[in-house]
Amino acid sequence: MKKETEAKVVTFTSEAEMPMMPASVASTLYNKTGSWRYMRPLYANQTPPCNAACPAGEDIVMYLQLTAQGRYAEAWQTIVRENPFPGVCGRVCPHPCESECNREHLGGAIAIHCQERFLADYAAAHELDLPAVDAPPREERVAVVGAGPAGLSCAYHLRRMGYQVTVFEAKEQPGGMMRLIPEYRLPRKVLEREIGAIVALGVEMKTGVRLGVDLSWEDLQDYAAVFLAVGQSISRELGVPGEDAAGVLHGIEFLAQVKRGQKVGLGQKVAVIGGGNTAMDAARTARRLGAEVTILYRRSRAEMPAIDEEVNETLDEGVKIEFLCAPVAVLTENGRVRGLRLTRMELGAPDASGRRRPVPVAGSEYELEFDTVIPALGQVADLSFLRAEVQTERGRIITDERTATACPPVFAGGDAVTAFGTVTAAVGSGKRAALAIDCFLRGIERPFPDLAHNVQAAPRRRDPTVVRFENLNTAYFEEEPRPQERQLPAAERVTSFAEVNQGYGEEVALNEARRCFSCGTCNECDNCLIFCPDVAVLRGDSDDEPFVFNYDYCKGCGICVSECPRHAIVFEEEVKFTKT
Amino acid sequence: MREPKTYARNYEIPEEELTYSGSVSCPGCGATLSMRYALKALGSNTIVVIPACCWSIIAGPFPYSSLTVPIFHTAFETAGAVSSGISAALDVLGKKDTTVLAWAGDGGTFDIGLQALSGAVERNEDFIYVCYDNEAYMNTGIQRSSATPWMAWTTTTPVRHPKEEPKKDIVAIMAAHRIPYAATATVAYPDDMIAKFRKAKSIRGAKFIHILSPCPPGWKSEASDSIKLTRLAVQSKVFPLYEIEHGEKVTINVWPKDGGVPVSEYLRLQGRFRHLSEDAIAAIQAEVDRNWERLLKKAEMSMP
Ligand SMILES: Cc1cc2nc3c(=O)[nH]c(=O)nc-3n(C[C@H](O)[C@H](O)[C@H](O)COP(=O)(O)OP(=O)(O)OC[C@H]3O[C@@H](n4cnc5c(N)ncnc54)[C@H](O)[C@@H]3O)c2cc1C
Ligand SMILES: Cc1ncc(C[n+]2csc(CCOP(=O)(O)OP(=O)(O)O)c2C)c(N)n1
Ligand code: SF4
Ligand code: SF4
Ligand code: SF4
Ligand code: SF4
Ligand SMILES: [Mg+2]
Repeated sequence: MKKETEAKVVTFTSEAEMPMMPASVASTLYNKTGSWRYMRPLYANQTPPCNAACPAGEDIVMYLQLTAQGRYAEAWQTIVRENPFPGVCGRVCPHPCESECNREHLGGAIAIHCQERFLADYAAAHELDLPAVDAPPREERVAVVGAGPAGLSCAYHLRRMGYQVTVFEAKEQPGGMMRLIPEYRLPRKVLEREIGAIVALGVEMKTGVRLGVDLSWEDLQDYAAVFLAVGQSISRELGVPGEDAAGVLHGIEFLAQVKRGQKVGLGQKVAVIGGGNTAMDAARTARRLGAEVTILYRRSRAEMPAIDEEVNETLDEGVKIEFLCAPVAVLTENGRVRGLRLTRMELGAPDASGRRRPVPVAGSEYELEFDTVIPALGQVADLSFLRAEVQTERGRIITDERTATACPPVFAGGDAVTAFGTVTAAVGSGKRAALAIDCFLRGIERPFPDLAHNVQAAPRRRDPTVVRFENLNTAYFEEEPRPQERQLPAAERVTSFAEVNQGYGEEVALNEARRCFSCGTCNECDNCLIFCPDVAVLRGDSDDEPFVFNYDYCKGCGICVSECPRHAIVFEEEVKFTKT
Repeated sequence: MREPKTYARNYEIPEEELTYSGSVSCPGCGATLSMRYALKALGSNTIVVIPACCWSIIAGPFPYSSLTVPIFHTAFETAGAVSSGISAALDVLGKKDTTVLAWAGDGGTFDIGLQALSGAVERNEDFIYVCYDNEAYMNTGIQRSSATPWMAWTTTTPVRHPKEEPKKDIVAIMAAHRIPYAATATVAYPDDMIAKFRKAKSIRGAKFIHILSPCPPGWKSEASDSIKLTRLAVQSKVFPLYEIEHGEKVTINVWPKDGGVPVSEYLRLQGRFRHLSEDAIAAIQAEVDRNWERLLKKAEMSMP
């Protein structure tokens, strides 16, 4: 009997038509066993927790799977569809994605940031360009104020949607706070390549133009929408006597001077006050300039806002940290710093941020000698240029979840709104603004989830339900260790501004990508196809649909659902009959 | 057709399908899946002999068939004899490369068909005999067979009188006939099963493959657990995967990972064992450990 591909019902109208012996003449395809089913399997493309946790909404699992196949260029393109700064983020992002990664339970989270960095370095080495803008051009012009990651991300996404975008930046160079991240963590050429690529897409960049000084709100009338991404630029004061003395230098000012190549005389002993990233960077930079550095922080290690890894690296480089102390006065001599008077602190009741509030210990004051004092207590936004209609609260611009301010054509994002304080969050907020502005200009309403954290400028079909470790079939996975990133030894580090983390090479990157479970995302392991007793799983004909269920015959046994290692298939109730 | 990606593949299985959808087996039937693998391995030049069992039904009602290869339906106790006859007929016709595959249940193998089987393998007829073992007479409503495990529930061994006899060791009986090849296989290990069918096909003479086949209605298990259950059967050593060549050379093919899992993990997913006391489970564990030790010794003895 030749193999049949279609159902055929056989009817004998007389005995003569029947075979001599009771032999079969057709296949069981006539019997549509799909009618038995009350649950059905469905390729759902649920969301892995890494993707859900990425503030820039990167499709991490897709680029890991492309990397696993050695398709590095496509992997890089998958990242830059969402985030034009993989080289920067692969180096400086505190990687909340890894904290959620399901691999944590079997050998350690996937080193996602190292993969991102590997791909960005690959793209740089191979001089890959951002995909050209292919959307039809749009008439409307949009102004972006501030060329930090939020502004640049918004400009990039709007440009890709076809809009004419002009970025106004107060400083002489674009980049915002990313420019201040020291060379040993973020080499200038990495930042410059990624900013240059955005400009090369046709974004107009006007530097040295400060809104409120060089540019007025009236000048912005020609633009159909405005995105404010002005960050936080004013350093917080210490608020103690003696603060104006020579030798007191604010963290970001100090870092800016060093980055500009200016010579900064620090003296021998340097105090850095604060516990955030700026404090760590100021301390490590001062170390590299030959100083003996002490960080003074008013709470304990657990409350430090700096990224944990960075605190460790700082300590490795010989920086001392004194916890639970705060300055009460800058001691001066002839108008110059000679030291600090400090008080011991203790932790009291939790404050609004949930961290325990430090309170001074009475009678515990003491003095230490320093040549330079670097306060790094964070920044606040300079919002003096704002129009009254744009509302603010405690130094931040108020927006809704779609980044719209109270004044319709004006949107805002990044540190000036959320004070989240990471590059990736700023990138995500810029992308959200781009989508919101697009909706606004085209007069379309989109439901909020569409604009949530993992929104995509180029979406693939996906269910937002997050796949957790319990949903995986771990029979198919072995415990495998997380690889170590190469790092310069601490003694060598403090002698130069050479990059501390060195990433890893292709072989490690490939293995690491293969270690990824590919949560919720089919990677064509073939299990469903192989284990279906009823041949009801068929190969599909596109990458978007590598397999299809033949619902004519699927009996709904659920084997494919349980044996999919990564929960790419869900099982759902199927209502076939409704009572009339 | 689009080239499938292969970088994440767990198994290497031939693409060609020689079984049809639309058969009337229950959802999650291990016997149906076993046939799918067997024919993928053996190819289309195969004649299947089926005595009375679930597969007589799964193969389709007249005039339909769920297989793309010829099937000979025969009486309950006759798979060994009929296969011998077909094999002899092929021999007479000079068709040496056609595989004869007897495909019988545990009732048709361990019980009523044992005499015909013993005769055929003793004569070293050239065929592959498969017993897909679902551990009871399922087609007629879950009656006990001599393949039913100790203490399991069936309709004829109710919870108040569970089965008191241990499962018959059919592979040892076959090995005692000194046949060229006897092996165990199960659906959670498709690569292993396919390799065994290919090996059996390459050998002339009598070959016996014992397949553990989950049966959701008979085992009172979830249809979706069929693969998981057989994986656990192997990992708990309840059903080790091994082969015996010429009645002597014993090779263990799949080693339980990290020393294996307790039998309770396998038992607790099946309603037919729900009534077991802690003591009974401990006794099963002891028996499984003893059998495993014995198998290890046999395997060690056959090492060169
Ligand atoms: C030293 C340091 C280290 C850091 N390390 C990390 C790190 O390791 N990881 C991490 O994720 N984040 C880090 N951050 C934080 C991160 O850089 C910021 O969160 C991020 O840059 C905020 O982006 P933004 O676009 O909102 O604002 P910004 O980057 O602050 O950019 C705002 C831009 O707007 C411009 N501007 C302001 N006012 C006007 C005006 N009126 N007209 C025109 N232009 C104006 C500014 O000049 C600036 O260029 C660090 C920050 C610092 C200072
Ligand atoms: C001589 C004879 N006795 C009884 C039957 C009824 N009968 C048909 S199938 C079957 C049970 C088969 O059990 P098993 O071989 O284990 O196959 P399963 O149905 O479990 O797949 C029985 C008793 C029969 N067909 N012939
Ligand atoms: S294992 Fe892979 S897909 Fe799953 S959370 Fe981790 S990185 Fe994401
Ligand atoms: S394994 Fe096959 S029959 Fe069972 S639910 Fe999946 S597609 Fe349907
Ligand atoms: S079992 Fe494998 S092939 Fe099937 S959906 Fe899951 S990942 Fe994809
Ligand atoms: S009763 Fe058991 S062996 Fe028979 S068709 Fe159903 S699942 Fe398969
Ligand atoms: Mg049976």
